[in-house]
Amino acid sequence: MKIRWPLFVRRFHKWLALIIGLQVVFWTATGFYMVVIHIDRIHGDHLIKSAPAQVLDVGKMISPEDALRLYPGATDMRSSSLLGRTVWEISGPSGVKLVDARTGEVLRPVSRDEAAAVAREIYAFDEPIRSVELLTRAPMEMQGRKPPYWQVVFDRWDSPTFYISPESGALISRRHSLWRIFDFAWMLHIMDYDERSDINNPLLRVSTWLAVLMALTGAWLLVWAFPKRRKKKKR
Amino acid sequence: MKKIRFSPLFFRRIHKWVGLVLGIQFILWAVSGAMMATIDMEAMKARPDVSPSRIPAGNFVDPAEITDEQITGLAVRSIGDRPIYEVSYDDGIGLFDARTGNAIAVDPAFVRARAEEIAPAGIKSIKRMDRPNLEARDYEGAVWRVDFADAENSSAYFSATSGELLTMRGDMWRLWDFFWMLHNMDYLDRSSFNHPLIIFVAFGTLFLSGTGFYLLFKSFTKRDFSWIVRRKPPSKRVLANDD
Repeated sequence: MKIRWPLFVRRFHKWLALIIGLQVVFWTATGFYMVVIHIDRIHGDHLIKSAPAQVLDVGKMISPEDALRLYPGATDMRSSSLLGRTVWEISGPSGVKLVDARTGEVLRPVSRDEAAAVAREIYAFDEPIRSVELLTRAPMEMQGRKPPYWQVVFDRWDSPTFYISPESGALISRRHSLWRIFDFAWMLHIMDYDERSDINNPLLRVSTWLAVLMALTGAWLLVWAFPKRRKKKKR
Repeated sequence: MKKIRFSPLFFRRIHKWVGLVLGIQFILWAVSGAMMATIDMEAMKARPDVSPSRIPAGNFVDPAEITDEQITGLAVRSIGDRPIYEVSYDDGIGLFDARTGNAIAVDPAFVRARAEEIAPAGIKSIKRMDRPNLEARDYEGAVWRVDFADAENSSAYFSATSGELLTMRGDMWRLWDFFWMLHNMDYLDRSSFNHPLIIFVAFGTLFLSGTGFYLLFKSFTKRDFSWIVRRKPPSKRVLANDD
């Protein structure tokens, strides 16, 4: 039997599109969102004002040796500052400890007011804080990062949200509506509806290869899609 | 002017023409997407699991005595069993041995020692680069590149200032990165997916997928599904129930 290629390919293209078409619409729409809004904005770089580096007066700080004695087994320590106070931030297997670099006092975990003050200090705009909460369960947008952390939400249309570590007082993550939409778009794009992170999931693998076939048969159809103009016969 | 009729034919034409103009990129997106989904992410990340080592106790030099320059930050960590100070200035950083106070140069010997800690195989070559190449593009400043003689052709990149391992790349990553380039259309830097070219093509492609989706509803007839929905054979139960 002779295969009528144009018909065969058209059918193939059509049926593939029936299976994968809706996902292709999702891919192009979410892809468009992701390319149109700059990734730096998605990351919330604009929400942060960076403080100029301050000169460190090492002479007035307790020595690294003394600071280390407060945390045997530490793997890393660095100078930092918390609300204007110079601190040693010491990390090791059992987490992070803050030590007042002047007095050598081990600081307690960051309080609600301190977390709010830290957020206020780095936030680039003027809106008031809407809520401050100590989270003990990771919300979706923290992508499985281990709590606890302070969640500070600012009162603005896109709900800018800072996550502050109680241990170190440092900013762990920043989120806002455009990020949340991006994350949702990303979920649709990679078809991992649970974790939103596995780009090797079987569903995506099968779907993408079906899309390849659909695209190739589509290209093939172009061969017949533009018929040569016939010369008009003279009457 | 001829009035546009929003008929299936009209949408079919858009589908055809956008396909003709942007079809190549659509195919490349599909192929590169499929390849990135297929290449195993975990296998691709060749980065060794180096857990930070404990800072050894001992007599440290007073950090105030190391340098006369104004410093903006100080970190203490260890390399191997050697405690080190990492001093930040306004315009860079310096490494010092915390026990002797001597400056540590991130030189080939230093890099070799660090590379041997993580070596998956013998070291083929060590090379300094003033600027990171594509493989280390996520980082700034000069880097040292160490090539290993393993099957993956792994390369480790160390910061030329802090001496820290930045990243490690193998052939699997290089293949993946090639498809990522096709996907993000940033053929020179491979890093941005927010440039005008991709925005333009992505916008155009919306018309390809949108019209295609619409045409799905116009292209199928009942007959297409006849192989699924067979005509019911006359049922005996119907007769039996007819009492």
